[in-house]
This record gives sequence, structure tokens and C-alpha cells, in this order.
Amino acid sequence: MARALQLPEGRVLRYLGLRVVQVVPTILAIVVLNFFFLRLAPGDLAEVMAGEAGSATPEYMAMLRQQFGLDEPLAIQFFKYMGQLFQLNLGYSFRNSMPVLDLILTRAPNTALLMLSSLVLAVALGILFGAISAQWRGRWPDGVLSAFSTIGFATPLFWVGLMLIVLFSVELRWLPAGGMRDLQQVHTGLAAVGDVALHMVLPVLSLAFFYIAIYTRLTRSAMLEVQELDFVRTARAKGIAPLPIAVRHVLRNALLPIVTMTGLQLGTLLSGSVVIETVFAWPGMGRLAFDAVFQRDINLLLGVLFFSSFLVIVSNLATDLVYALLDPRIDVR
Amino acid sequence: MSLDATDILPRAAAPSAPAAPKPRRAVRTSSFGYRFLRSRTALAGSIGLALVAGAALFAAQIFPGDPLDMVARPFIWPFTSAEYPLGTDMLGRDILVGLVYAARVSLAVGLAAAGLAVALGVVFGALSGYFGGWVDQVLTRITEVFQTMPPLVFVVVVVAILTPSVSSIVLGIAVTSWPQVARLVRAEALRLRDAEFVQAARVMGMGHFRIILTHILPNAISPVVVAGSILVASAILTEAALSFLGLGDPNLISWGSMIGSGREVLRTAWYMTALPGLAISLTVMALNLLGNGLNDVLNPRVSLT
Amino acid sequence: MTSPFETLTLSRRTLLAGAGASLLLPAAARRAGAAPATGGTLVAVLDPEPAGLVAGLTISAPAVAVSANIFDGLVEYDEGFKLKPSLATSWETSADGTVITFRLRNDVTWHDGTPFTSADVAYSLLEVTKKVHPRGNAVFANLTAVDTPDPYTAVLRFSRPSPVVWAAFNGTETQILPKHLYEGTNPLTNPLNGKPIGTGAFVFKEWVKGERIVLERNPNYWDKGRPYLDRVVFRIIRDPASRAAALETGEAQYIPLNPVPLSDVARIKASKDLVVETRGFEGPAPMYFFDFNLRREPFGDIRVRQAFAHALNRKALAETVFYGLAKPAAGPVPSYQTQFFATDLPQYDYNIAKAEALLDAAGLKKGADGVRLRIDHIPSAYGEDYRRAGEYFKQALKRIGVEVTLRNYDLPTYIKVVFTEYDFDTHSAWYSAYPDPQIGVQRRYWSQAIKKGTPSSNASGIADPEIDAVIERIQTEGNVEKRNADIRELQRLAQVKLPSVNLLELTFYRAYSAKLSGIDLAPFGGYQSLKTVWVGA
Repeated sequence: MARALQLPEGRVLRYLGLRVVQVVPTILAIVVLNFFFLRLAPGDLAEVMAGEAGSATPEYMAMLRQQFGLDEPLAIQFFKYMGQLFQLNLGYSFRNSMPVLDLILTRAPNTALLMLSSLVLAVALGILFGAISAQWRGRWPDGVLSAFSTIGFATPLFWVGLMLIVLFSVELRWLPAGGMRDLQQVHTGLAAVGDVALHMVLPVLSLAFFYIAIYTRLTRSAMLEVQELDFVRTARAKGIAPLPIAVRHVLRNALLPIVTMTGLQLGTLLSGSVVIETVFAWPGMGRLAFDAVFQRDINLLLGVLFFSSFLVIVSNLATDLVYALLDPRIDVR
Repeated sequence: MSLDATDILPRAAAPSAPAAPKPRRAVRTSSFGYRFLRSRTALAGSIGLALVAGAALFAAQIFPGDPLDMVARPFIWPFTSAEYPLGTDMLGRDILVGLVYAARVSLAVGLAAAGLAVALGVVFGALSGYFGGWVDQVLTRITEVFQTMPPLVFVVVVVAILTPSVSSIVLGIAVTSWPQVARLVRAEALRLRDAEFVQAARVMGMGHFRIILTHILPNAISPVVVAGSILVASAILTEAALSFLGLGDPNLISWGSMIGSGREVLRTAWYMTALPGLAISLTVMALNLLGNGLNDVLNPRVSLT
Repeated sequence: MTSPFETLTLSRRTLLAGAGASLLLPAAARRAGAAPATGGTLVAVLDPEPAGLVAGLTISAPAVAVSANIFDGLVEYDEGFKLKPSLATSWETSADGTVITFRLRNDVTWHDGTPFTSADVAYSLLEVTKKVHPRGNAVFANLTAVDTPDPYTAVLRFSRPSPVVWAAFNGTETQILPKHLYEGTNPLTNPLNGKPIGTGAFVFKEWVKGERIVLERNPNYWDKGRPYLDRVVFRIIRDPASRAAALETGEAQYIPLNPVPLSDVARIKASKDLVVETRGFEGPAPMYFFDFNLRREPFGDIRVRQAFAHALNRKALAETVFYGLAKPAAGPVPSYQTQFFATDLPQYDYNIAKAEALLDAAGLKKGADGVRLRIDHIPSAYGEDYRRAGEYFKQALKRIGVEVTLRNYDLPTYIKVVFTEYDFDTHSAWYSAYPDPQIGVQRRYWSQAIKKGTPSSNASGIADPEIDAVIERIQTEGNVEKRNADIRELQRLAQVKLPSVNLLELTFYRAYSAKLSGIDLAPFGGYQSLKTVWVGA
């Protein structure tokens, strides 16, 4: 393992630097593309606010548009926005009366907490199930576990979430029905942590149920593939007991696709959270983005897209690095 | 939330570095057919899919009429009425009829979205991998742009802009799923362009596009087929999620829209979401099995059980 | 000019009859004389999250529900629709009806300690309500000045008598804001909108976006002894099923707006721990209707419109789509506004044969595929229930050979398409009739209310000189009896000319824990402050 991890530092830094340079135009392209694309949606924030008010006068709406800067020519709005962006100012969300960056930073950790916990659980269980499946391939544990994980992947996530609420919250009263915290009492310290943890159980279970399939299958096929390789067969031929083989050689090499997958999933944290945050009233970024679309809060939506693209790219970079470190055959170019 | 098609493959294609060329037996049609029939998973998946497709195709013959018609008392529970074996929904529509007709729309959405995604992905990936150089750079950047955007959020944006309908849903899903296919095809094209038979064709003076069409694509097709089946499954799930979020097409009945309308009555009439949810699960599982089986068949490394 | 509402009686039985199954009155409400217990935290639920907490500026139903706890108005409505003092202790109108004098309380302070004075009233009415409130400009169009001869007297001067303003002085519609904090700023972007300072029963504590809004009891509230609750927490829960679950587990105790899906109402009502209350919405008076775009063929022909009216079964709509929480409407004015409501209005009974005959007579014969007419329909974007109604319309109209394509839009698209571009054949919507038809009903029928780009305006395009004449008489008539007669005439014309089909009187409702007492049942109670509520079983 130590040998595989060695890599000349200069190359790593150069690689990172190169990737960063490659990546900046992508993020910029995303922002520019969406800046114009989002404006194709019919209606604007003034119409949303007037709609929520139940009625409005044309003067009121004109005043709103002036407030929001929507009455300026598009080119000017664009240059103003890009100028702000280069100062890392993501603009102001009029619908939420808060700067976009602050809004994102308050909500992003909530989403991250949920998604990362689900990923961790899914990876852990997936590796376990996959290893068992591969080891007992073709026999009943393989069948049962594969079926279980396939069901998890195939069942719509929101249905699982709602059914879990019905069972565990409403019928059994074991767990809270939604939200992130108990709002009747204010908990502090360890009690607060426990409170959030309690609220996390159902959403994390729902999400993990979905992701487990991926990791089970990945682990299973990766392990099966590696089992056929020469050096594993040699070890078996040498009479080394199966369990040490499984753990030392096979598992380690199956980690590669798992790491890749995890990196990819990390990058798409946002999408999975939209549905879960809706069902469980979890105050996260997924729901923030979704609402922003229907409130035509373009600043906020652009900010979220920018932020999440940034995250994807960072996690891709990290994945590449880890991948390169783990597999000495891959050249860091 | 869409499942990345690459996860189904044992050789996970590295996201940035091209896969190191690995030795591979040439695939012959006769051996494909034989291996396919021997693969239990591929068979099981195909049978399941055939059932669903059959229902979809012959819906009008089995249940003539309009599935959206309000024919009976609302909220009849399944298995309580001979006339309406799976019960009725809150507007008195027959659920069994709905399920069968919905198969059409859900499958159509799945196939269309996956088809469009594959088409786009193949074009981008083949051109990118084959030509390399600046073509590759530009096309890869474009692919990255679409890949980096959060998929469900962007689908929602597209559907919101174009207003909800089957076509906007198909377009939205396709636009967010093609990068995976492009990556796969690019990796294959990169691998194949230096192969001997391609070199030979170049020497013989064959044009670039003919080479791509006749030499590269046919050999790159197997991961694409597997990815395609997964894409269909994930498109069906995405359509269900969109309906749940209120973005379905109101003029057609799909499994997703049935779940969406049953969402509010989850507590009292949970069969309204359970039944179409089950239909989706079974179809997605069938597609999964098919994809799995195809993968086993097309990848000669893994011995079939 | 006296308030038109001082003689109004509400027919609550009519309202409840439409609600279907018998309504369980909370046992607590019957326990008259039980002493309110102070203390406790109430968890309420909102959807969607309001844009700001100063409803006088960014008005929306959830904004008002929170804001009414933080701000007061000059007056309030009590259960008999009579005006009750709030920040104003008494009021009088001049003989010619152009001057209204309010005497104000002298013991009120803002949450930051500054005393409340008539200067705040003047500022709020002139700078906020007239200039920034979406409806304020129209309702208070004739308000020219507000004199403040002393700190506790506000004299409102009008260019003409305006009976309509009496329907808008209540705190949920017209709020009084602190002049010392808003003057000189741009009210719409004042950061206080996210952390407001008011005179109300509860003081703003915190707002965690996407999650909760927390209010705490105002210890210096002018209504001594109230509020009873220590804290109120508003949670944001977007999904209706999740809201129902929160109620059932007791995690939330009070949901004033859209609490649970319509289909759950029966179940929640049956639970002995929960209460469903339909009173509290007679003020806004929601009315549901089906609009034709008169600019488009063939809706210019009244026979076609009548055919549609005969093809829509309002009773089935009320019972199936709205689960009995609606009542067929006889006209544009709700039946429980007994002083305005005209009986014996022309009605269009559910009659398919008649409908088909009318369409034949209008020249729309059935084609080979049985279709006479292909149109689109845009259901209101304000909720799933209206989309379901759209599905009902589609099937109902299919029976008379009209093929309907539904277009479901999100809110901003809906407003753009229906109210700016007028790009629709038919649409269905509900408007609040409000306590006076001049505020709510008029905007559907007046040609001057055709305002491109303005939601909830005249979308059908009706511009009928007879209707316009009646409406303009209603606006200027000072004599209550004559005005009511004109209002009845307006209803008759609305039914005869039929630019839109009046479908239902909707029943809105709240859901809350049976442990709560003191729930405000006044006509705007669904939106009003929680200062009367206490937790006691």
C-alpha cells in the first residue's frame, strides 16, 4: 500500500494546477449559459410576488421590477452580474431578503449532512453486501442481497420516504415526522446533536436504500473481476486461506471503482436532495434550488448552480487524485 | 439522482484519464445470442420487459376507452370489486386501466429520453474520441458543462421553461443524461482509433465518418447498450419524481402522474401510490436485470452462472 | 357614512352546511368562562415561506399569518363582522362622508420602546398603503391627506365618500408601520422586513430561512393580559402529507392555511385530538369560477358559454374534487354575505342535452370523431386541487364533444400567460370576494379592470356598458340601500351575460390540536393574530 501511495509531489501540484485552469472555463460557461437560459422561463419575480399577493397594480409591479433590477437592459444586468461574480459576490435574493451566498452557506451544510451520512451508510452496507454476494455468488445470500438492493434502487425515493413516515412516525410514534430539529424546545450541546440525529434517521435510511444498490453491485462485480486475476489465483493456489485473500488483495483493488463512484455521487449531492428535502421538510439546498426555479429567483438559482458546479469539480479532482494514488497503473497527466 | 450508467460496468471508466486498452475477444453475433439465452438475468429481465411492453402496445385492445374517464365511485379499494379489480382513484377513474395505459407513456418517455441521450452521447463521444485534439477539447468542455450541472435541478429548469409536457420532460431528461454516454463512447473511441483494423481502413483511404460509422461505433456499442437500458430505467424514475414534484403532463396518464395524484391521499388510499409505484419498480428491475445480463453477456471476463 | 358591515349578519349555518359532515366544535370553545392559562410554545406551520414578514409591503397569505402577530391595524373584525377597536379606540365620520376621524390608544409602544403616535398612522396610510401595497392604491384612491392634530388623533380626508375603505381598515389588510424606522428608506428593501418591529402581541425573535420563524410574547402589549402564549414557532413544511403527519404526531399544533390535503380532512376531523375549523375565512370569501376568453371564437356567442355552464356539474365538482368543502355558487357574491347576496338569480342547471342543443344551435356540430370544439384550459396555479378540477373539466366537457387540452403552469408562468398575454381559451381560478364586492367582485367584471400584466384582474376581457354602468354607480353611491340594490343588479347581469361561470363558494379551513383554546373565529380569523390562543385541555 505504501508503495502505491508514493507520488512525486511536483507532479501532483502541476496536475492540480492544470486541472484548475481547465476547470475555470467550465464553471464560467455554466454560469453564462444559465444566466441567459433561465431568463427564458416565462414570468419573473415581480409576477411571483404579485401572484402571491393575490392581486397587484401595474405600478406596484413596475416598482418591484425596478427594485429587483429587472427593468435594465439584459446586457447591463449581465455585466453587473459577472462583475459581482468575480468578487465572489453572488448577488441578492429578493424573494428571501438575504444575500445569495449567505443563504447558500446556511443551507448547504444541512444538505451535506444528510447526503454524506447516506453515502457513508450506503457505501458501508454496500461493500458488505457486495462482498457477501461475491463470496457466495450464485447461492441464496447473493440472490437475496441483490434482490434487496435492486428493490431499493427501483422504488421511487419519495414513496419510500413517505411510507417510512407513515410507519415510523405516525403509526409507531418512534421518530419525528420531518424537519431537522425539535422546534418546541431548544436543545443545546449533546442534546442538540442527538435531536438532529433523531431527525436524520428516516431521510438517511430512505436515501441509503436507494444508493445501496449501486455500491452492492459495484463491489460485487469488482470483486468478481478481481477474483479472476492472476495474482489472486496464485495466492489461492499457494494455499493461503480465502478470507485473508478476500480482505487484502481483492477488496483493496475493488476500492477503485467504489472510490470513483463515490466521487461522482458526491458531485450530484444536490439533485437527490430535492425530493428527500421536500418529503421530510429538511431545510437544505436542494429544496432551495427547486423553489428558486418557481419563484424565478434567478440570482439564487445561478448561485446554487455555481456553487454545486464548483463542488462537483472539486470532488472530481479529489476523486482523480485518490484514484491515481490508489492505482499505480494510472498516470497522472 | 439519475444512476450513472458507468457504475454497471465492472471496468469503471476513469472520469478524466482514458482507460488503458485491455485485451478483449471479438464479439460474434451467434455467440451473443447463445450467451444471452443462457444468462438467467438477461432472460428474466427481458421477459419482464416484454410483459410491460405488451401491455403498453395492446392497451387499447385490452381496455378500449379513455383511461381518464371518471367511471365509478371514487376510492374503491383494490380487490373489493369485480368490476374494478384494482379499485378507483379519487376522481373515480379505473386504476387497472390507468396502469395499463400509463405503461405506454412511461415506457415511451423512458425510451425516448434514453434514445435521445444515447444519440447525443454517441455523436459527441465518437467525434471527441476519434478526432482528439481541439475537437476533443471543445466537445469535452461542452460535455463537462452539462455533466457538472445538478441533473434533477436542471431537468426541473428545462421543464419549467418549456412548461410541463411529455416532450419537455423527455428533452430535460435527455439533456442531463447524455454526458454519461458521451464519456463511455469517447473512451471506447479513444481505445479503438489506434486499433489495427482502423489503421488499415485509414490507409485504404476510407473517410473519417465512414470509419466512425462502420468500424468504431459497432465495436463501441456494447457498453452503450448496457448504459441505455439503465438510462431507460432512470428516465422512468425521473419522470415519476417530476410528477411527484408537480411537473407532470396533465393530459396523459403515466405511472408518475398516478403517483403524483395519489400523493395527497397517501394516508387513506395508499394503494393509489403503491400500485403505480410497484409497476415502476418492477419495470425498473426488469430493465436492471436486462442491463446486468447484457453486461455479463457482452463482457466475456465474467463466466455465466 | 356608516360602515356597511354594522348591519351585516353572517349566515354561518349556510356556510357550515356546505362543509358536509358535522363539524366538531372544539370542546374548549364551549367551556366559556374557563380562565386562559398563560405559557407554552405553539408550533404552527406555513407553506410557502413568505417573502417578507411585513405584510403591509409584501402581502401574501403566509406573510399575513405571521405578520398579524407582529403588527396591529386600526381596527379588527369581531365574529359578527362588526368593527372592534385595535390601535384605534373610536372613530367617527363626517356628515358628508369625506372625513373619518380615528382616536388612537395612548399606551402603545413599538417593540423597540418608541411610543406609537398618529404620525405612524399618517405615514403608513400615505407612504405605505397608498404607494406600496398592491391593492392599497386602488382602495384608498380617494384618500388625499391624513392630519395629525395631536399624537393620538388621525384625521383622514377623502376627495369623495368611499364606503369601500371600511372593508380595508382591519389589521390584516392595512398595517401600521413604525414611521421612525421606515421614513426616508425604501420600504421594500428595508432590512427590517426580515426582522420587523411592530406594536403587536408578539415580538420577532429569529428567522432561519427554509426552516422556522420564531416569535416571543410582547411583555408590554397594550391588550393587557394577552397574549397567553410564551412563544410561537412557524415551521415551513412544503409537502401536504408531511404537514398532516406533523399534526398527527403533535409536532405541530396549529396550521392556519392549507393545513392538510382535502382528502385528509375527514380523517383529521374524526380524530379526537384534532380539530378542523372552517370559520375564519368569511372575510376573504373565496369564490371559484370558470372564465372564457371573450377575445376568442367561439366564446363571443353566448349560447356556447351557456352550453358550458350546463355541462359543468357544480354539485359533483364540490363533492368529488373538493370533498364537500365547497358549495355551488349561485352568483359572484357568496351567499353568506346576506346583505349583498341576491336571491333568485338566473341559474344554469346541469343538463347535458340542453348543452348539446345549444352547441348545435351555435353551429358547432360534432365531427366524425365526435368532437365539436378543441380548446385549452389553464387551471389556477395556486394548488393541486385546482389542477384536479381541471381534470374534471376536461372529462365533463368531453361529454358534450369539447376536447380540452390542459396546460398546467407554475405560478409566474400562469400569471404571465393568463394575465399578460391573455393566451388562453378558458381558465379557472378563485378570487377573494372580500367583505365588499367593490374590492373583490368588481375586478372580474369591470372593463377598467382589464390591466395587462396584473394578476387577479379582469382576464375574460368582458367590457359591457351595462355592467360598467352598474359598477360605477356602486363606486360612488353613498346611500347604503341604493348601493345594495345596485350590487344585486350586478349579480343578475353577471349571471345573464355570463362572461364566466360562477362555480363554487370555496370553504377554506384550519386544522389544529384540540388542546388549543381561544382560536379566533372572526371573519378574518384564519389570518389574524394568535394573541387570543392558549394551551389548555
